[in-house]
Amino acid sequence: MKKLQSKNHFILAAVFAFMTICLVAQSAVAQVQIVTSVTDLAAIASEIGGDKVEVISLAKGYQDPHFVDAKPTFVTQLNQADLLVFNGLELEVGWLPILITGARNSNITRSNTVGHYDASTSIQNKLEVPTTPIDRSMGDIHPGGNPHFMLDPRNGIVVARGIAARLIRLDPENAEYYEQNYNNFKDTLTLKISEWDAQLSAYKGTKVVTYHKNWTYFLDWAGFIQAGTIEPLPGVPPTPSHVANIITTIEAQNIPLIISANYYPQKTPQIIAQQTGATSLILPSMVGGEEGITTYAGLFDVLVTEITSALSSSAAN
Amino acid sequence: MNLSRNFFVMMIIALILSAPLSLQAQAQESGEVKKELKELKQMMKQMQNRIEELEEKNEKLEKQAQQRPSQETIIVEEETDLTIIEAKPAQASQGFIGNALNAFNPQISVIGTFAAAYYSQDEPFVFAEADPENTGVNVQEVEVGFQGVVDSFFRFDMFLSFSTEGVELEEAYGTTLFSLPLNSQFRVGRARAKFGRINQQHRHNQNFVTLPLPAAQFLGEHLNPTSIEANFLVPLPWYLELSASGGSPDVEVPTFARDEDANDLGRLLYVFHMANFFELSESFGVNLGGSFATGVNGTAPGERSNLYGIDLYAKYRPLKNNPYQEIMLQSEFMYLDAQTPEETLENWGWYAELVYRFAKRWNSGFRFGIIDTNTPVTEEPEEGDGDALGIFNVARTGEGEEEEGMLGLLGRTYRISPMVTFRPSEFSQIRVQYDYLNQDFAENQHAVFLQFQYAIGAHGAHPF
Repeated sequence: MKKLQSKNHFILAAVFAFMTICLVAQSAVAQVQIVTSVTDLAAIASEIGGDKVEVISLAKGYQDPHFVDAKPTFVTQLNQADLLVFNGLELEVGWLPILITGARNSNITRSNTVGHYDASTSIQNKLEVPTTPIDRSMGDIHPGGNPHFMLDPRNGIVVARGIAARLIRLDPENAEYYEQNYNNFKDTLTLKISEWDAQLSAYKGTKVVTYHKNWTYFLDWAGFIQAGTIEPLPGVPPTPSHVANIITTIEAQNIPLIISANYYPQKTPQIIAQQTGATSLILPSMVGGEEGITTYAGLFDVLVTEITSALSSSAAN
Repeated sequence: MNLSRNFFVMMIIALILSAPLSLQAQAQESGEVKKELKELKQMMKQMQNRIEELEEKNEKLEKQAQQRPSQETIIVEEETDLTIIEAKPAQASQGFIGNALNAFNPQISVIGTFAAAYYSQDEPFVFAEADPENTGVNVQEVEVGFQGVVDSFFRFDMFLSFSTEGVELEEAYGTTLFSLPLNSQFRVGRARAKFGRINQQHRHNQNFVTLPLPAAQFLGEHLNPTSIEANFLVPLPWYLELSASGGSPDVEVPTFARDEDANDLGRLLYVFHMANFFELSESFGVNLGGSFATGVNGTAPGERSNLYGIDLYAKYRPLKNNPYQEIMLQSEFMYLDAQTPEETLENWGWYAELVYRFAKRWNSGFRFGIIDTNTPVTEEPEEGDGDALGIFNVARTGEGEEEEGMLGLLGRTYRISPMVTFRPSEFSQIRVQYDYLNQDFAENQHAVFLQFQYAIGAHGAHPF
């Protein structure tokens, strides 16, 4: 009996050892492996990196980036990464740290390495940075400021530069190529921004109600005013009394527009729109948030077109 | 930038110097001189205006350059790009600093779990340490966590578990953060062993008020030996992690114990685990794992227990247009074969829980758990008895004929538990649960729980 047991153990141990020894040799991939937390960063990274990089985004564009499942698959992807690009300001606090720990990859685990790029560190003008002590009775507040800065296209340029700088250090042989791509990206987007500015300029000062405060940077850039949110507090689902308040606000201030990201429940904005006559727009908030949005500029094309056409038709009424 | 400014200053100086010369040359015609002087003055004024304009332009350009780096700076600044400077807005530096923890302090979190309970029996059957003990209001657990990065090589996580009985060092382990051969990662210290799934889930992350029967029966509140654990991530198309750990079960668990005076590597507790994750679609993933633990059980020197486990976890969460709904199935089967001087025990247990999250803050679930033991049963397992299996309480103490009469009874126990949970925010939770317990050798037991949970401090990550 005893002997049999030890034999069993030996076999088990042998099988285990065999499996570990039989690890498939990893074929060296020439391309720089980039993993991003969200799709906006992936879109920019692939424009800068071109055919010299391979880019994976962990979250999907139609998913709430606050609540992403930390799937083991993501660990496998991070394990192979040369560069991790994430949003920062605690947007991914609920799911990314555990993945980084599991990744066993010196390229990205240490926050002082080239391969670990927290995009928020490049952003100079952070909005809604708490100036007073905060606690969680205020809802899901981000101590470092509102994390949705990628919805200001000017920040896209800043982050693109950050990604280019990292790629140049990781892959100096292709430095010129990355720099050229960055300059192209910057020039194209700068031109686009002036076009969007022109489209939006007629509606400067428009008051808007949003579902969650993820449009803060966008409204700041567009010159709109956030008059309220459907969520009573960040991250807290709408309550009937708060919805009633919002309806009153919209009617009193004659607010024409309600904007919600397409991963939030759509019933409440629709009800409010029906009650008040305001237009409810359900918009993608990230690249890939809708079919056909494949580039960072493409996202703003959709957003600006949708918003301006909604406002012009509501003005016509 | 400075060059152009210098150039203009030189020009002005040259003009000023050359002005008297031109005056001398044309001194004869004073009228013209005056005219020329006027012109010169005008020219000077124009120059000055031009310089001011240029300086303004310069300033603007410099500002723009700061806001939007131009092409040349990308190479120059790539060095500084990596030295992260906290660009905090000026206004934030008033009262906020006092609120912000020192960056090098560990992240601290405190999670309290309390349960009001009603049991249908005066002396209820309770299977796990942190299950509500009596009818009344119980402290299930207050967990204090200290977590942080040690340096660029390790992180360290520690969890203390406070209860009315005292404090337990639930976990305290270092984890390697750097690349190692074979994609390996080491955890050293006391940690919840990688045996199955529920054993790796802290109480506050579990879906039910009470611990599943098989886990309580075979692993106790948790199996957390102090050990060295190696985990290997196998580079396959799917996620496969192999774990092996060896160490000492220096905590009270039902299945394993330390042999006294044993100084033998063969008598340590070894735990092996294999975890697979198959992502069948973006909405549907399945975790499938197998575990094996072997060690001495303390009934007599050298007597061993072998515990086998299979665990399954499946999660369906449609990502599109569906923010928070998900369905989760978690199930484990455990089989124990334990040698004792008298006999070999062959016990098994199985549980399955199905949880449906139907709104952002609501979920409900149903659990079935069963254990089948040929362990002689005592009415109340005596606490703090050195014998891990708890099967010789009777034989050794021999108190009361009632208990002796129970020796050798086969026991099959199953429990059915529906529950509903409301989470006002990510940091608090209220849960209602009903337990129906059916045992071969005792009366059925009904229990109702109302559980409250609060979390303060650092925002923990949510394991899959």
